[in-house]
Amino acid sequence: MGIHKQSFSVRIRAAGWLWQRLTGVGLVLFLALHFWVQHMPTGFLATAEEYAGIMREFGMADQRYVDAIADGAIREALPEEHVITYDKVTERLANPLWKGIDIMLLVFAALHGMNGLYNVMGDYLRSSGARRAALGGAVLLFLGVTVQGIVSIMSAGLR
Amino acid sequence: MRPPTRNAVPSLKNFIATVVSMTPKPGLVAWVLHRLTGLFLVLYLVLHTLGLRSMSDPVAFEKYVTMYRQPLFKFAEFLLLGVVAYHAFNGIRIILQDMFLRSGSERSLFYLVLLLTAIVTVIGGYHIIYPYFIAPLLP
Repeated sequence: MGIHKQSFSVRIRAAGWLWQRLTGVGLVLFLALHFWVQHMPTGFLATAEEYAGIMREFGMADQRYVDAIADGAIREALPEEHVITYDKVTERLANPLWKGIDIMLLVFAALHGMNGLYNVMGDYLRSSGARRAALGGAVLLFLGVTVQGIVSIMSAGLR
Repeated sequence: MRPPTRNAVPSLKNFIATVVSMTPKPGLVAWVLHRLTGLFLVLYLVLHTLGLRSMSDPVAFEKYVTMYRQPLFKFAEFLLLGVVAYHAFNGIRIILQDMFLRSGSERSLFYLVLLLTAIVTVIGGYHIIYPYFIAPLLP
Protein backbone atom coordinates (compact mmCIF):
# COMPACT_ATOMS: atom_id res chain seq x y z
CA MET A 1 0.00 0.00 0.00
CA GLY A 2 1.45 3.37 -0.98
CA ILE A 3 1.93 6.01 1.64
CA HIS A 4 -0.69 8.25 0.02
CA LYS A 5 -3.36 5.54 -0.08
CA GLN A 6 -3.86 4.47 3.52
CA SER A 7 -7.07 2.72 4.50
CA PHE A 8 -9.86 4.65 6.18
CA SER A 9 -9.26 3.07 9.62
CA VAL A 10 -5.53 3.87 9.47
CA ARG A 11 -6.28 7.50 8.63
CA ILE A 12 -8.87 7.66 11.45
CA ARG A 13 -6.29 6.36 13.92
CA ALA A 14 -3.67 8.83 12.70
CA ALA A 15 -6.22 11.65 13.09
CA GLY A 16 -6.94 10.42 16.65
CA TRP A 17 -3.22 10.45 17.44
CA LEU A 18 -2.82 14.01 16.15
CA TRP A 19 -6.05 15.16 17.77
CA GLN A 20 -4.95 13.79 21.17
CA ARG A 21 -1.84 15.98 20.97
CA LEU A 22 -3.66 19.13 19.82
CA THR A 23 -6.36 18.84 22.50
CA GLY A 24 -3.66 17.99 25.06
CA VAL A 25 -1.77 21.23 24.40
CA GLY A 26 -5.05 23.17 24.50
CA LEU A 27 -6.00 21.56 27.80
CA VAL A 28 -2.71 22.56 29.43
CA LEU A 29 -3.61 26.20 28.74
CA PHE A 30 -7.34 25.92 29.60
CA LEU A 31 -6.67 23.95 32.80
CA ALA A 32 -4.00 26.40 33.98
CA LEU A 33 -6.60 29.17 33.63
CA HIS A 34 -9.35 27.01 35.19
CA PHE A 35 -7.10 26.24 38.16
CA TRP A 36 -6.18 29.88 38.64
CA VAL A 37 -9.85 30.95 38.58
CA GLN A 38 -11.48 28.18 40.65
CA HIS A 39 -8.77 26.99 43.04
CA MET A 40 -6.48 29.93 43.82
CA PRO A 41 -7.29 32.76 46.27
CA THR A 42 -8.34 35.38 43.69
CA GLY A 43 -11.36 37.68 43.30
CA PHE A 44 -13.17 34.90 41.40
CA LEU A 45 -13.82 33.24 44.79
CA ALA A 46 -15.51 34.67 47.88
CA THR A 47 -13.35 35.60 50.89
CA ALA A 48 -14.46 34.35 54.33
CA GLU A 49 -16.03 37.78 55.00
CA GLU A 50 -17.81 37.88 51.64
CA TYR A 51 -19.10 34.35 52.16
CA ALA A 52 -20.50 35.27 55.58
CA GLY A 53 -22.35 38.14 53.87
CA ILE A 54 -23.65 35.84 51.12
CA MET A 55 -24.90 33.35 53.75
CA ARG A 56 -26.76 36.10 55.64
CA GLU A 57 -28.32 37.61 52.54
CA PHE A 58 -29.30 34.33 50.93
CA GLY A 59 -30.63 32.98 54.23
CA MET A 60 -33.27 35.71 54.26
CA ALA A 61 -34.46 34.83 50.75
CA ASP A 62 -34.80 31.04 50.89
CA GLN A 63 -35.95 28.79 53.76
CA ARG A 64 -34.15 25.79 52.17
CA TYR A 65 -30.91 27.72 52.61
CA VAL A 66 -31.62 28.29 56.33
CA ASP A 67 -32.36 24.57 56.77
CA ALA A 68 -29.17 23.57 54.92
CA ILE A 69 -27.09 25.81 57.20
CA ALA A 70 -28.78 24.31 60.29
CA ASP A 71 -28.01 20.78 58.97
CA GLY A 72 -24.38 21.68 58.29
CA ALA A 73 -24.95 21.01 54.56
CA ILE A 74 -23.82 24.60 53.96
CA ARG A 75 -20.93 25.67 56.18
CA GLU A 76 -19.25 29.04 56.87
CA ALA A 77 -15.70 29.63 55.60
CA LEU A 78 -12.59 29.12 57.72
CA PRO A 79 -10.39 32.19 58.32
CA GLU A 80 -8.56 33.09 55.07
CA GLU A 81 -10.44 30.37 53.14
CA HIS A 82 -11.61 31.29 49.63
CA VAL A 83 -14.90 29.69 48.64
CA ILE A 84 -16.43 28.85 45.26
CA THR A 85 -19.95 30.27 45.43
CA TYR A 86 -22.99 30.48 43.17
CA ASP A 87 -22.88 34.28 43.06
CA LYS A 88 -19.23 34.45 42.00
CA VAL A 89 -19.55 31.69 39.39
CA THR A 90 -22.68 33.12 37.77
CA GLU A 91 -21.17 36.62 37.85
CA ARG A 92 -18.15 35.31 35.89
CA LEU A 93 -20.31 33.26 33.50
CA ALA A 94 -22.50 36.31 32.76
CA ASN A 95 -19.60 37.29 30.47
CA PRO A 96 -20.05 35.48 27.09
CA LEU A 97 -16.25 35.25 26.73
CA TRP A 98 -16.04 33.20 29.94
CA LYS A 99 -18.95 31.03 28.77
CA GLY A 100 -17.00 30.37 25.55
CA ILE A 101 -13.79 29.59 27.43
CA ASP A 102 -15.54 27.15 29.78
CA ILE A 103 -17.32 25.42 26.86
CA MET A 104 -13.99 25.07 25.03
CA LEU A 105 -12.44 23.56 28.20
CA LEU A 106 -15.37 21.15 28.48
CA VAL A 107 -15.27 20.05 24.82
CA PHE A 108 -11.47 19.66 24.77
CA ALA A 109 -11.54 17.66 28.04
CA ALA A 110 -14.36 15.41 26.80
CA LEU A 111 -12.66 14.81 23.41
CA HIS A 112 -9.24 14.16 24.95
CA GLY A 113 -10.63 12.02 27.79
CA MET A 114 -12.93 9.83 25.72
CA ASN A 115 -10.39 9.40 22.89
CA GLY A 116 -7.82 8.42 25.53
CA LEU A 117 -10.28 5.99 27.13
CA TYR A 118 -10.95 4.42 23.72
CA ASN A 119 -7.19 4.09 23.08
CA VAL A 120 -6.68 2.36 26.46
CA MET A 121 -9.59 -0.03 25.90
CA GLY A 122 -8.31 -0.75 22.37
CA ASP A 123 -5.03 -2.02 23.86
CA TYR A 124 -6.87 -4.82 25.67
CA LEU A 125 -9.73 -5.65 23.26
CA ARG A 126 -9.02 -8.03 20.37
CA SER A 127 -12.34 -8.73 18.65
CA SER A 128 -13.80 -6.14 16.30
CA GLY A 129 -17.17 -6.42 18.07
CA ALA A 130 -15.68 -5.50 21.43
CA ARG A 131 -13.76 -2.64 19.81
CA ARG A 132 -16.95 -1.32 18.20
CA ALA A 133 -18.74 -1.53 21.56
CA ALA A 134 -15.87 0.39 23.20
CA LEU A 135 -16.02 3.05 20.49
CA GLY A 136 -19.79 3.33 20.91
CA GLY A 137 -19.42 3.66 24.69
CA ALA A 138 -16.73 6.35 24.35
CA VAL A 139 -18.85 8.32 21.85
CA LEU A 140 -21.91 8.11 24.12
CA LEU A 141 -19.88 9.26 27.15
CA PHE A 142 -18.45 12.13 25.07
CA LEU A 143 -21.93 13.23 23.99
CA GLY A 144 -23.37 12.85 27.51
CA VAL A 145 -20.61 14.88 29.20
CA THR A 146 -20.60 17.56 26.48
CA VAL A 147 -24.38 18.07 26.30
CA GLN A 148 -24.85 18.03 30.10
CA GLY A 149 -21.89 20.38 30.59
CA ILE A 150 -23.06 22.89 27.97
CA VAL A 151 -26.57 22.88 29.48
CA SER A 152 -25.05 23.65 32.92
CA ILE A 153 -22.84 26.44 31.58
CA MET A 154 -25.53 28.08 29.43
CA SER A 155 -28.19 27.92 32.17
CA ALA A 156 -25.91 29.33 34.91
CA GLY A 157 -27.55 32.34 36.55
CA LEU A 158 -30.92 31.94 34.87
CA ARG A 159 -32.50 31.32 38.28
CA MET B 1 16.16 -10.94 47.00
CA ARG B 2 17.85 -12.85 44.16
CA PRO B 3 15.76 -13.28 40.99
CA PRO B 4 14.75 -16.91 40.39
CA THR B 5 16.25 -18.79 37.45
CA ARG B 6 14.21 -19.19 34.26
CA ASN B 7 12.99 -22.72 35.10
CA ALA B 8 12.20 -21.97 38.76
CA VAL B 9 9.16 -23.66 40.35
CA PRO B 10 6.05 -21.43 40.01
CA SER B 11 5.34 -20.27 43.53
CA LEU B 12 4.26 -17.12 45.33
CA LYS B 13 7.80 -16.72 46.68
CA ASN B 14 9.33 -16.90 43.20
CA PHE B 15 6.65 -14.55 41.79
CA ILE B 16 7.43 -11.93 44.46
CA ALA B 17 11.17 -12.41 43.93
CA THR B 18 10.72 -11.82 40.18
CA VAL B 19 8.64 -8.68 40.68
CA VAL B 20 11.04 -7.26 43.27
CA SER B 21 14.09 -7.98 41.11
CA MET B 22 12.64 -6.15 38.08
CA THR B 23 14.26 -2.77 37.52
CA PRO B 24 11.52 -0.29 36.63
CA LYS B 25 12.73 1.75 33.66
CA PRO B 26 11.67 5.44 33.61
CA GLY B 27 9.92 5.03 30.25
CA LEU B 28 7.73 2.19 31.58
CA VAL B 29 6.94 3.98 34.85
CA ALA B 30 6.04 7.14 32.90
CA TRP B 31 3.71 5.13 30.63
CA VAL B 32 1.96 3.34 33.54
CA LEU B 33 1.51 6.60 35.48
CA HIS B 34 0.21 8.42 32.39
CA ARG B 35 -2.36 5.67 31.81
CA LEU B 36 -3.50 5.51 35.47
CA THR B 37 -3.76 9.31 35.87
CA GLY B 38 -5.61 9.51 32.53
CA LEU B 39 -8.19 6.90 33.53
CA PHE B 40 -8.68 8.63 36.88
CA LEU B 41 -9.17 12.02 35.17
CA VAL B 42 -11.81 10.58 32.80
CA LEU B 43 -13.72 9.26 35.81
CA TYR B 44 -13.34 12.64 37.54
CA LEU B 45 -14.55 14.48 34.41
CA VAL B 46 -17.80 12.48 34.43
CA LEU B 47 -18.35 12.96 38.20
CA HIS B 48 -17.50 16.69 37.91
CA THR B 49 -19.99 17.19 35.06
CA LEU B 50 -22.72 15.36 36.96
CA GLY B 51 -21.97 17.41 40.11
CA LEU B 52 -22.31 20.67 38.18
CA ARG B 53 -25.93 19.81 37.37
CA SER B 54 -26.46 21.61 40.72
CA MET B 55 -25.69 24.91 38.89
CA SER B 56 -29.40 25.08 38.08
CA ASP B 57 -30.24 25.62 41.78
CA PRO B 58 -28.30 28.04 44.06
CA VAL B 59 -29.04 26.06 47.27
CA ALA B 60 -28.04 22.74 45.68
CA PHE B 61 -24.85 24.33 44.30
CA GLU B 62 -23.86 25.75 47.69
CA LYS B 63 -24.41 22.29 49.27
CA TYR B 64 -22.32 20.68 46.52
CA VAL B 65 -19.44 23.11 47.12
CA THR B 66 -19.67 22.63 50.91
CA MET B 67 -19.33 18.86 50.45
CA TYR B 68 -16.12 19.43 48.49
CA ARG B 69 -14.84 21.69 51.31
CA GLN B 70 -14.48 18.87 53.87
CA PRO B 71 -10.84 18.42 55.01
CA LEU B 72 -10.54 15.02 53.30
CA PHE B 73 -11.78 16.52 50.01
CA LYS B 74 -9.34 19.44 50.37
CA PHE B 75 -6.51 16.92 50.60
CA ALA B 76 -7.96 15.12 47.55
CA GLU B 77 -8.01 18.48 45.70
CA PHE B 78 -4.28 18.77 46.48
CA LEU B 79 -3.71 15.28 45.02
CA LEU B 80 -5.90 16.12 42.01
CA LEU B 81 -3.56 19.01 41.19
CA GLY B 82 -0.65 16.55 41.33
CA VAL B 83 -2.45 14.12 39.01
CA VAL B 84 -3.29 16.85 36.47
CA ALA B 85 0.22 18.35 36.65
CA TYR B 86 1.87 14.96 36.07
CA HIS B 87 -0.43 14.10 33.13
CA ALA B 88 0.19 17.55 31.59
CA PHE B 89 3.99 17.60 31.97
CA ASN B 90 4.36 13.97 30.87
CA GLY B 91 2.08 14.67 27.91
CA ILE B 92 4.31 17.58 26.88
CA ARG B 93 7.32 15.25 27.22
CA ILE B 94 5.64 12.70 24.90
CA ILE B 95 4.94 15.40 22.28
CA LEU B 96 8.52 16.72 22.47
CA GLN B 97 9.96 13.23 22.08
CA ASP B 98 7.61 12.36 19.20
CA MET B 99 8.38 15.53 17.30
CA PHE B 100 11.94 16.53 18.06
CA LEU B 101 13.92 14.33 20.38
CA ARG B 102 13.15 10.69 19.51
CA SER B 103 14.30 8.23 22.16
CA GLY B 104 17.38 8.36 24.34
CA SER B 105 16.39 11.41 26.35
CA GLU B 106 13.38 9.89 28.14
CA ARG B 107 15.26 9.18 31.37
CA SER B 108 16.40 12.74 32.10
CA LEU B 109 13.15 14.22 30.74
CA PHE B 110 11.08 11.92 32.99
CA TYR B 111 12.98 13.13 36.05
CA LEU B 112 12.34 16.70 34.87
CA VAL B 113 8.61 15.84 34.59
CA LEU B 114 8.59 14.55 38.19
CA LEU B 115 10.43 17.64 39.42
CA LEU B 116 8.06 20.08 37.66
CA THR B 117 5.04 18.09 38.91
CA ALA B 118 6.33 18.32 42.49
CA ILE B 119 7.01 22.07 42.21
CA VAL B 120 3.57 22.92 40.75
CA THR B 121 1.77 20.64 43.22
CA VAL B 122 3.51 22.08 46.26
CA ILE B 123 3.16 25.73 45.22
CA GLY B 124 -0.44 25.49 43.95
CA GLY B 125 -1.47 22.94 46.57
CA TYR B 126 -0.18 25.12 49.40
CA HIS B 127 -2.97 27.64 48.76
CA ILE B 128 -5.58 24.86 48.67
CA ILE B 129 -4.72 23.27 52.01
CA TYR B 130 -3.55 26.43 53.81
CA PRO B 131 -6.80 27.30 55.69
CA TYR B 132 -7.37 23.65 56.64
CA PHE B 133 -4.00 22.12 57.46
CA ILE B 134 -1.40 24.90 57.70
CA ALA B 135 -3.08 27.92 59.35
CA PRO B 136 -4.25 25.85 62.41
CA LEU B 137 -0.61 24.83 63.03
CA LEU B 138 0.65 28.41 63.08
CA PRO B 139 0.97 30.19 66.44
